[in-house]
Amino acid sequence: MRKFAFAESGEGFVPPSTADFNLPPIFGTNEYTTKPIFLVLFSVILISAFFIIASRKALVVPSKLQFAGESVYAFVRNGIGEEIIGREFMRFVPFLFTLFTFILTNNVFGIIPFLQFPTMSHVSFPYVLALISFVVFHYVGIKKQGLGKYLMGIAFMPGVPKFVYILLTPIEVATFFLVRPLTLSLRLFANMFAGHLLLLVFILGGDHLLKGVIGLKLIAPFAFAFGIGMTFFEFMVQCLQAYIFTLLTALFIAGALADEH
Amino acid sequence: MGSGNEEGAMWSIFGYLISGLIIWGGIGWALDNWLDKNFFLLGGLLLGAGSSLYLTWLRFGRN
Repeated sequence: MRKFAFAESGEGFVPPSTADFNLPPIFGTNEYTTKPIFLVLFSVILISAFFIIASRKALVVPSKLQFAGESVYAFVRNGIGEEIIGREFMRFVPFLFTLFTFILTNNVFGIIPFLQFPTMSHVSFPYVLALISFVVFHYVGIKKQGLGKYLMGIAFMPGVPKFVYILLTPIEVATFFLVRPLTLSLRLFANMFAGHLLLLVFILGGDHLLKGVIGLKLIAPFAFAFGIGMTFFEFMVQCLQAYIFTLLTALFIAGALADEH
Repeated sequence: MGSGNEEGAMWSIFGYLISGLIIWGGIGWALDNWLDKNFFLLGGLLLGAGSSLYLTWLRFGRN
């Protein structure tokens, strides 16, 4: 955890760094009890509770809670599932919906007071999510088209002279098996990591300015104001990243379902 | 074709460009190390960028 003692001891400003992401275990020295782990568990409880309560007494004229729950569901089902995957979209909606709400909740944790830590800024969480997405879209493709046909479809683009395959096949294979899961996870991770760092810079910087001489104290409100502005900006990024992750997973599934690439 | 598909196409293209550079740039870099030369990396990167652009055209620009 960050030490706030530097200002009193007369040291200079310690800028936020990767060390701020290495939170100590909450219970003793057990490394499996860090804040991100609890945030993930909390998010599962939160999402489950919200949607169970929102859908329990489904009425024709919905309550506010039911309306909120249904809006999120409709957004994923129609906006991502139906629009991208098409005819067979319904059996992927539970997966996409879970993915979207899980990432969204864990991202927004980054700006909720007292929680204030985006779980996805630890790269292992996006890795696992991307791995799940990777397994799902390849499984769907193999099941739909058969292993041989699916792999041939990836490696050999139809309607191209044969010698061009030497150039293109390595790129296609790398895209499907390496770049897709990597970009999927790193995009989410980097956005959350950078966003949290950005907020730390403004808030801790403002805090440090407050402890300085009178001239610096006068500047501090601007740093805090910027921090608040950036918090709203971060909220936008957090929602957008949850959407992009789900959207791309849906696109990969759609690509695996399509007979011809 | 909605806006979601366009955004998806953008990221697919981005993926192709990255893989082209990584694969052919990587092969060039390996050749440089192996043969103790210095021009294969640049050649590989150019080849990779060119191939990815061609692949992008094949997949998104043909029809």
